[in-house]
Amino acid sequence: MTRVEKPHSDVMQDCKRNLPFLLLCHKSISILHCSAAASKRNKKQDHCDRNLKSCSPRYRKPSDQCGLPEDCITLQWRLNNFYLFIPAVQKHPAPEDTVTASFGKFISEIKPQHLSPVVLHRSKRMVLDSIGVGLIGSRTDVFELALQFCQHMYAPDHISSVYGRRGIRLSPTLAAFVNGVATHSMDFDDTWHPATHPSGAVLPALFALSDMMPANSKPSGLDFLLAFNVGIEIQGRLMRFSNEARSIPKRFHPPTVVGPMGSAAACSRLLSLDPSQCSHALAIAASLAGAPMANAATQSKPLHIGNASRLGLEAALLASRGLEASPLVLDAVAGVAGFSAFYEDYVPQPLESPDDGGHVFLLEEQDMAFKRFPAHLGMHWVTDAAAAVHELLVGHGLGQVSPHQVQDILLRVPQSKYINRPFPESEHEARHSFQFNACSALLDGEVTVQSFSPPAMSRPELHFLLSRVRMEHPEDNPANFNRMYGEVQVTLVGGDILKGRCDTFYGHWRNPLTNESLRKKFRSNAEVVLPSEKVERLVEVVEELDRLDDCGALLSQLQ
Amino acid sequence: MLRKGITESFGAAIQALNAIHLTDGVITRSKRMMLDTLGVGLLGSRTAVFSKALKYSQVFTSEQRSSVWGRSDVILPPHYAAFVNGIAVHSMDFDDTWHPATHPSGAVLPALLALAETLPSQPSGLDLLLAFNVGIEVQGRLMRFSKEAYNIPERFHPPSVVGVMGSAAASAKLLGLSPAQCSHALAIAASSAGAPLANAATQTKPLHIGNAARRGLEAAQLAQIGVEGNPAILDMDSGLGVYYKDYSPSPLADSDSGAFRWILDAQDVAFKRIPAHLAMHWVVEAVLAARAKFLDRTGNFDLSQIQNITLRVPRSKYINCPLPTTEHQARHSFQFNACSALLDNKVTVASFSQAQINRPALRELLSKVQLETPEDNLPSFDRMYCEVEIKSAEGLSSLARCNTFYGHWRKPLSQKDLEEKFSLNASTVLCTEGVEGVIDVVGNMEKVTECSVLGSYLRMTSTSEQLYSMRIM
Repeated sequence: MTRVEKPHSDVMQDCKRNLPFLLLCHKSISILHCSAAASKRNKKQDHCDRNLKSCSPRYRKPSDQCGLPEDCITLQWRLNNFYLFIPAVQKHPAPEDTVTASFGKFISEIKPQHLSPVVLHRSKRMVLDSIGVGLIGSRTDVFELALQFCQHMYAPDHISSVYGRRGIRLSPTLAAFVNGVATHSMDFDDTWHPATHPSGAVLPALFALSDMMPANSKPSGLDFLLAFNVGIEIQGRLMRFSNEARSIPKRFHPPTVVGPMGSAAACSRLLSLDPSQCSHALAIAASLAGAPMANAATQSKPLHIGNASRLGLEAALLASRGLEASPLVLDAVAGVAGFSAFYEDYVPQPLESPDDGGHVFLLEEQDMAFKRFPAHLGMHWVTDAAAAVHELLVGHGLGQVSPHQVQDILLRVPQSKYINRPFPESEHEARHSFQFNACSALLDGEVTVQSFSPPAMSRPELHFLLSRVRMEHPEDNPANFNRMYGEVQVTLVGGDILKGRCDTFYGHWRNPLTNESLRKKFRSNAEVVLPSEKVERLVEVVEELDRLDDCGALLSQLQ
Repeated sequence: MLRKGITESFGAAIQALNAIHLTDGVITRSKRMMLDTLGVGLLGSRTAVFSKALKYSQVFTSEQRSSVWGRSDVILPPHYAAFVNGIAVHSMDFDDTWHPATHPSGAVLPALLALAETLPSQPSGLDLLLAFNVGIEVQGRLMRFSKEAYNIPERFHPPSVVGVMGSAAASAKLLGLSPAQCSHALAIAASSAGAPLANAATQTKPLHIGNAARRGLEAAQLAQIGVEGNPAILDMDSGLGVYYKDYSPSPLADSDSGAFRWILDAQDVAFKRIPAHLAMHWVVEAVLAARAKFLDRTGNFDLSQIQNITLRVPRSKYINCPLPTTEHQARHSFQFNACSALLDNKVTVASFSQAQINRPALRELLSKVQLETPEDNLPSFDRMYCEVEIKSAEGLSSLARCNTFYGHWRKPLSQKDLEEKFSLNASTVLCTEGVEGVIDVVGNMEKVTECSVLGSYLRMTSTSEQLYSMRIM
């Protein structure tokens, strides 16, 4: 299976055509006072800048995150001094060289021309996929409960739209919440490396916030994409502050840690907050971050993404009202934990200023994994391996798999307690069960949305297979999405042994979904909820998002 | 018989605890906590952070309407009423502190009062007391699952961890949820827990209490409509255990087994006399004593005679702030509180105004402070002390030590002083009838048939409050 995507030649051509775009450059904090006129005044200049820079994607070796870089030691030393000599700092009130300040500055000062064609292309794929899984997610029980809750507890507020529900509008933070819940309700949304689900925390918040802005001064498509990329980038940067974070997590569910920060960053960008307000927004969001892993595989897990989206938006809105928080929240200060509270091995690094030319978006170097079926990412390896065995079994026998041929099923997968569930009882548990996904694929040759329905889950032949499963956790199979593999070994009653192995499933960042496959996934998700004209329109609108003068064209297609 | 899981035992106890289980001691102590919380909340409704949070919250509307303490004219959805009232309670760091260290009442009372207003049949005073005590008890139990938690914290701000759990438990109790729903409420609340300590001494710290109240209430209501979380959330290291390094949970005794004892019966709370971090209270008392001795020796008090001031306090980085610039930093500064006490012979609400913080005489004194952290002075509110030594240029020296300040649980405020603190705080916002009404209702809480009467007194604002609220609009 080598369906590797072609180089992004189409994107490069787009770039050469000198994309027209609009910039949201109002400096006002208050979203009710966005000035469309000001946007247009600055348009020409930014356009020129863009012509100079946009066609030269810069590549850079990934920096070594394992050791403690020298400049980082210097920084910590400086921080200690800063603490000891506060009088000196008071004369210079803004300690510009803190990690926290560098993040605030980045969020505030990044511009559309800093987005390379590769980043634009990849982020548009994320937007499309996220909308699709959000739309199909708006038909789940947990989404229904979240929506009921918001409608029951709050009066109708005709502001922000809800995925797939025409006629329902909610207050912006509540819309961000329910749409975030929809996005993660089936565990169908994108996964990055180090492991988190980045889009679900950001996109619903940006939709909700854009809905809040007056009709005549909506952000342009490019501004929207910039804010989205800021939200993704901040999550990626924060994930790299800890080596621990490179492995499948054990304590905090990553989207609850970096998700609110990404949402706060993206919303701050869309609100054009100043550098200090952006860093306060991050610090306020840090106080709303962090949820235990134990709630994975329950209805509360989708709530994690909904809350990340909602609370990040809230943090940005509070910061825009002048609320202040720790100016050192991202820095490592011994004895007073900031964001480091969530990690055992926290080593923060400042973010390069976008204007120095030294910044490259992480998305440029590290692409996204898109799921082909709604389950934890780890399930995709074991499912592809089991599907290969299914093919062999079908060839071996009567054209369909008979469970009673099967003596023993051995899964060689990484050790990770929360996705090791021998007999899952709910759909949420099934989405987090190596055993369930392997057996479904053995039986059916694939895992689909339907595999998690109560009738599919309760099949006796499936339970028979589940009772045959053993697990092994080989030393060379680490709980890490960049290095793990899945191996399925089936011993038949007659003693024959069939093996399947998957090192890189189709959809993984090393073997990305083709645009065609991605759109196919989108269409099948979106069509559950929307009429096909709207589905096609969404595909088009997202494709041309960076050229849209007004992101309202996208907002109007979601329900 | 299978041993009950820990989370399960909590769910069962929250549901089963009954008014007959409330002891006289617990009733008295919890009424004092309620009164104090209302007072500091009313006073806190005048702060900048409260105004920002209120304006933000007024974006939301709902059919169900809950009041904001001390505002006759503002109605909010219950979650946001809990949010802003919780912020008011902690806005000045003037609210109660328990051992192990957390601020227990601010996460619970605002959630309960906001919820009570929306219920179809009004809970009685006794219902309110019971739910309040359930919320306090759960926080106390959870604090005891970690030894680390006995010390002044370094990672997570405790009210952001146990507070939201207490609010969820109390709200679940008032809603009359089933044992399983109570467990799910705790599980959902656990996903809303945990804020890093770095935001202490900033405007965002009061939000920790407001969010604990709001999101605990939200968790209980989500559980009520059927949302589920991990039913073993308290049993697991990957559950509530993520917030601690040495998590060791134990089940809650069955309330009918006779083995159940309220923690509040055994461990009283501390009430603050100044709006600052609890540790500041040792410093202020010690400084006032040292100051009096110094005065005895020198006859008249002349600041220029002071050469240096040595404070011997526990090691705790976030309350060691040599030169605070904001009120929030000042409330978390050993040095500031020592110098204010030395300069003014008292520390009061007014000491934390920007004008007072910026006084040159105070800045001058601050430059003379040295902090020492002796090994035997542990960062625990049960064991810490403060020693102050003032030295003059002529070599005169005055030493004083405070082991237990007045207001600490070993030396509780008299009822008279507690009521006086309340009256002083509440009368900045309420008219006399309102102030006296609240004292009366809280004092007789167990006999009150409808707790909504409390809300009506909390809305009896004085004219100056109305003027004030008009001015800031």
